[in-house]
Amino acid sequence: MESLLARYLEPCLADCRDLKISHLLRIPGGASRETWMFKAVWQTATGRQSQEFILRKDPPASLLETDREAEYAFYSTFAGSDVPVPAMRWLETGAEHLGSPFFIMERIPDIEASTRVILEPRYDEARPKIARRMYEILAAIHTFDWRDTEAARIAAAPAPDDCWRTELDRWEATIDENELNPQPAVRAGLRWLRRNPPPPAQRVSVVHGDYRVGNILYHTDGGIRAVVDWEMAHLGDPIEDVAWSFMADWEWARDGLKGGIIAGADAIAIYEKTAGLAVDPAALHWWSVFSNIKAQGIWLTGAKSFQEGRNQELIMPVVAYTLINKEDENLLKSLGRDK
Amino acid sequence: MTPEAPKVLNGMASALLVKLMPEVRTPFGQSVAGMAGMLAFVLAQESDRAVDRLHRENEAVAAILRDAAAILPDEALSDRAREAAGTRTPPDLRVSTMQAINDRLRAVFIEVHAAIEDTPGDDARALEERIWEEIRESTRRRHLEALM
Repeated sequence: MESLLARYLEPCLADCRDLKISHLLRIPGGASRETWMFKAVWQTATGRQSQEFILRKDPPASLLETDREAEYAFYSTFAGSDVPVPAMRWLETGAEHLGSPFFIMERIPDIEASTRVILEPRYDEARPKIARRMYEILAAIHTFDWRDTEAARIAAAPAPDDCWRTELDRWEATIDENELNPQPAVRAGLRWLRRNPPPPAQRVSVVHGDYRVGNILYHTDGGIRAVVDWEMAHLGDPIEDVAWSFMADWEWARDGLKGGIIAGADAIAIYEKTAGLAVDPAALHWWSVFSNIKAQGIWLTGAKSFQEGRNQELIMPVVAYTLINKEDENLLKSLGRDK
Repeated sequence: MTPEAPKVLNGMASALLVKLMPEVRTPFGQSVAGMAGMLAFVLAQESDRAVDRLHRENEAVAAILRDAAAILPDEALSDRAREAAGTRTPPDLRVSTMQAINDRLRAVFIEVHAAIEDTPGDDARALEERIWEEIRESTRRRHLEALM
């Protein structure tokens, strides 16, 4: 892998000679794409240069079948905006360099991404600041003017009253394609969603699609250095992201705090004040039920890719055994059918 | 006499999580060892209960389908419900055989649930509640207590 990376990068870097790749290390997680970090050192006419990078590479199959070009476009859209993202450097959609498509971005040093570490006592002071920033940044994503950007080039914009249907059709199709066994709770949830549509979106925004603790790179000073994992980003109803970030799946401390770090009412207050958008309870409820269905679509996709031998990463059966039934339990709660 | 599969799988889980994981040098390697240990732990539970879970569920779903057949207005669906309920007895007790029956029963169960939601009357409402109780019970049967 080091030699393949060196061969790829040398012509990409200006005036580059004697490029060496070191510290290549696969990062745990990243169930939908392999994530690697590495250091590049090279010579130029002005002397020795070095830079640390992150490589995101497509596996043969994954929890998600998403387009890395779209993810790259959303990262690029927010470069230099109020939404912190890593600097994108190169995108390759072919398999000729590393065996599958990939993109490379600059590594952000001195950050943490763990959903567990943020709950440790050493983050007690920083945690409320990180939580506040998390919902201020979400407001910045949703109030960002996406017209004439890379995101607008790559993603279709639904009408405000069609955001829900577009996403529901997409995830119902994913479930149809990937369920290994009939899913009675999921099918009941899908019927409920179609019978009880939410109010139209207040505005059509960029929706991150996987906004939660785990996809923010935070620091002990309470800052958030970047929002990552834009592979499910699209244009749609901003309340979708609020509901997704509130899912019981992410209540890591099991204490009712969203993402283990903030009460739902506090998050809504910060978000509404910053974004100037209201979080309608009916819309939030609809998108909460939808979130259970979407999550199940992701878990079922991973289970099928393992069952069919297209992906042998152990995260796939771990997710299948630990989350599919848990998601049914969460869905029953969201529907008020848990007792 | 050989050790039972759940005992072996729990031993594997312990070896992977307690003995191997701390010896692995990279975070990714530790993560793989941890997931393998977790899977062994989960499969220890699942291997012991799978036949019992599928047997109980197939009987429960078949009973609902039999009762639904009597009140469904759609005759074709009534016939499918009756037929599915009648083929619940497995020719052998392999998990794959019982899972295939479970899949057939639950596919018709979904159709019946959708139809009952649109069927008026007290009998339909009572059956709908039974269906929801069976869905709740199905999550209890699959629950992995120690993990989540």
